[in-house]
Amino acid sequence: MISEMSYSYPNGTEALKNINVNIFKGELIGIMGKNGAGKTTLIRTLNGLIRPTKGNIYIENENINEKTIATISKKVGIVFQNPNHQLFANSIEEEIKFSLKSFNQTKEETQNRIDNILKEFNLEKYRKRSPLNISGGESKKLAVASIVCRNPEILIFDEPTLGQDEKEMEFFINLINREKKRGKTIIIITHNTEFSYEHLPRILLMSDGEIVADGPTQKLFENESLISTASLVLPQIRQLCIAMDQIGLPEAIKLNSREKLINYIQNFLANNLTKT
Amino acid sequence: MSLEFLNAFKFMKKDTFLHKLDPRSKLIFAIFYTILALLFTQIIPLLIIFLSLFPLILIGKLFRQWKKSIRGLSFLILFIIILNTLFLSLSFAIAMIFRILIMISSFSIFFLTVDPNDLALSLISMKLPYEFAFSFSLAFRFVPTIAIEAQNILDAQQSRGYEIHKKGLINQIKNLFPLLIPLIICSIRRAFNVAEALESRAFGSTKDRSYYYKIKFSFKDWIFSLYLLIVLLFFIIIKINISSMPEFLMWSFPL
Repeated sequence: MISEMSYSYPNGTEALKNINVNIFKGELIGIMGKNGAGKTTLIRTLNGLIRPTKGNIYIENENINEKTIATISKKVGIVFQNPNHQLFANSIEEEIKFSLKSFNQTKEETQNRIDNILKEFNLEKYRKRSPLNISGGESKKLAVASIVCRNPEILIFDEPTLGQDEKEMEFFINLINREKKRGKTIIIITHNTEFSYEHLPRILLMSDGEIVADGPTQKLFENESLISTASLVLPQIRQLCIAMDQIGLPEAIKLNSREKLINYIQNFLANNLTKT
Repeated sequence: MSLEFLNAFKFMKKDTFLHKLDPRSKLIFAIFYTILALLFTQIIPLLIIFLSLFPLILIGKLFRQWKKSIRGLSFLILFIIILNTLFLSLSFAIAMIFRILIMISSFSIFFLTVDPNDLALSLISMKLPYEFAFSFSLAFRFVPTIAIEAQNILDAQQSRGYEIHKKGLINQIKNLFPLLIPLIICSIRRAFNVAEALESRAFGSTKDRSYYYKIKFSFKDWIFSLYLLIVLLFFIIIKINISSMPEFLMWSFPL
């Protein structure tokens, strides 16, 4: 829970203004908004990288303002945009090992955890390879793996879909579904409206350091003016539904998922082809 | 830990006497003060030189940024005190601290008051090849970018349990690797990207260039440079005749 939280930079610029939000355990939530809206600043407050100038943040009823980053990072893991900002070890295995250092586990426990995570992320074959000699997609995967291996309660991703090809996207979607099933709370910053529309049930829309909208994704995308103020474009499914509504197709505007749209078109074609 | 101190070397446009000076006179200032810092090993002369920087810091309205640059060096200062006191003496350690403070302060004043674009023009007017002048000003322009990158790296590492404040000198040194390696790699990658971007825009294809802006060494620059020359000569005379100077100049800690 974030309660009346504000943050100002040392030069006085107010980056977050009176943020009040409740995020529930096991929830999958997106944060959207134009560049400079305060999205990254907000997530940086969530694991103590920056401290609110006003207000409090509670995780499981504990005020994190009094805790160290090292303590909070066991509960909250952030995967930042650029994987090159964290990879430094001699091998991929060592990279994961570094993330597990603060857990005081036995050698066997650490090795088991490394083996499991490398298997889960299909990185086993690169185990001994330098993190600097793998592709961009794989280094992004490794950056995610190095946070997921810490098993935090809350997983935060900053622009995870940026520059990802279809296969990598699919892997990421499977990963968030898997982590959600494990009961993790997942927060995703994204500009990708297609991804949000299909996979994120709830969105926080930010503008000028404030949360201007908070609600179910599909409801939010019905408000075109709000979407355009946040410099976002409507997802293609939504655009197609609006176009279908404009040419007079009944009930088309109510369609809100790929499956419903496909069913609608199939039924429509079947009915009309039978008539002709 | 905040790496904000790197911002203490970032140019900030202000309307002060110091900001209006030609970059060449400020380069002379930084070089002369570095020479002055290296001239002495006694505490009092170095303290006087250090104090003589304060009027300039105040004229340039730079006190806050300057303070940040000094605060950022606290670890280095501690390191100098420990090593020099252990192997030499406390007086020498303090003198060395003043030496480093003078050098850092003078270059901090230089970087805070010189626009990177003007710096390139001034170097070219000093007959330096354009490629060198451009590279130098580019390096200068990237200081705040590297500061932001360093902060991002620190955030990314802290997010996976990295603790920067670990006890013991060896641990503190070991602790720098997760920060320095990504920073160096990102900087090298950016250098290659910038080089490719420059080449794709035909950098260096013609030898002679024309410049939209021109810089001028004005009367106040001559006066400032003359003042600096007098200060330098004054301290050189003190250095040459230090044995016949008042005893308090040679004061040191009894340890």
